[in-house]
Amino acid sequence: MLSSGCKKVKATAVARALTCTFSTVELKKTISPKSENIKYFKVYRWDPEQSQKPYLSTYPVDLNDCGPMVLDALIKIKNEQDPSLTFRRSCREGICGSCAMNIDGVNNLACLSYIEKDTSKATKIYPLPHMYVIKDLVPDMGNFYEQYRSIEPWLQPGQEKKPGQGEYLQSEQDRAKLDGMYECILCACCSTACPSYWWNADKYLGPAVLMQAYRWIEDSRDGSTAKRLADLDDAFKLYRCHTIMNCTKVCPKHLNPGKAIASIKKRLADH
Amino acid sequence: MNALNATSSSKMLQKFTQNNVLRSQMMRSMTILSKQSGEEYKQLNYSKRMKEMGRPVSPHVTVYAFPTVALSSITNRVTGCALSVGCAGLGLVELVGGTGTSLSLMQTIGSQGLVVAAAAKFAVSFPIVYHYFAAIRHFMWDAKPEMLENQAVQQSSYYLFGASAAISGALIFI
Repeated sequence: MLSSGCKKVKATAVARALTCTFSTVELKKTISPKSENIKYFKVYRWDPEQSQKPYLSTYPVDLNDCGPMVLDALIKIKNEQDPSLTFRRSCREGICGSCAMNIDGVNNLACLSYIEKDTSKATKIYPLPHMYVIKDLVPDMGNFYEQYRSIEPWLQPGQEKKPGQGEYLQSEQDRAKLDGMYECILCACCSTACPSYWWNADKYLGPAVLMQAYRWIEDSRDGSTAKRLADLDDAFKLYRCHTIMNCTKVCPKHLNPGKAIASIKKRLADH
Repeated sequence: MNALNATSSSKMLQKFTQNNVLRSQMMRSMTILSKQSGEEYKQLNYSKRMKEMGRPVSPHVTVYAFPTVALSSITNRVTGCALSVGCAGLGLVELVGGTGTSLSLMQTIGSQGLVVAAAAKFAVSFPIVYHYFAAIRHFMWDAKPEMLENQAVQQSSYYLFGASAAISGALIFI
């Protein structure tokens, strides 16, 4: 009896599943448009295993069948047309910083850049400017991370507390000074937009790292402010900045590294 | 093959190991594993290592869409260079030709006709005026970092270009 009951349940379930599939197919036929809206994407390609020079690959993408962001288009191209297309991506929501690249001449996160609706123009996608390319749109970030490590981005309190002794306290006003700096996701859009960083990447720290240096200088809980300022006081680390302001223009999180760098310069001048 | 003896094969082995060590060091360029590897990393020259790996540099000036502020900054540099070259050139002309040569040269250019004279005057006055105003803007930014906001700096660039062009245009008539 139980088995026949189960069989009945199974039969109805199967029938329901079949009807569901049937109606979904019907729905898809009615809502998917017959027209295509093709946009061309010109993407920088380079394969380290071929001895070919870097080149541009053109891919057509139907915008009616694609998400609104450039990252959606890149994933669609990789899925449907060219699986060898290589790029970094993770969160798809503009918080991890992996998909930073140069889209139509401007550095941005691919997951936050809307595809331009004008299909008469192709979208040009390049890796972050003046970076050594590992493959296609993937730059080597080793130098950038090493520069970040060099500013010692951790709290160095004046008076060390033993574990369990309580927090390092800070007033609300002092905490507010860190707003607009702690949110940096280290995507490197700003540093790779800076012409000064293009010409001096090995010695100039770049806006991203300098803003983080200032974030630790401004932290009231930190005790090595003088040392941090003195470490920046040479001809290249800070002073290659000529206030070109490409950094603030391009930050995908709407932060202001240019202002932070000018503030460091002012601090060093007022010393 | 017959020429191989014990010493040369050990040398080859040594070189093989060295090359592989170097290659593994190069391969490690992406991952910084520890403080020690960070220190080793600092010893090697980044650009040299990248070039030896044969990696290309991604395009920059050829692809970047420069905003107005960046253009105003590079114009400042260009006018600065032009002024240096101009002043040095002036001095050189005087040295080579004797006192008064530059004055007669300027008078010759000035008498070539209205268009040529106006163009020459503009070519001299624009760098001076632009560089001067751009320097003032730079001093303001240094003194008050709060003024460095996207809208404000873009507007300042438009004013800078406009004012310099207008004033150096006016100076043609002197």
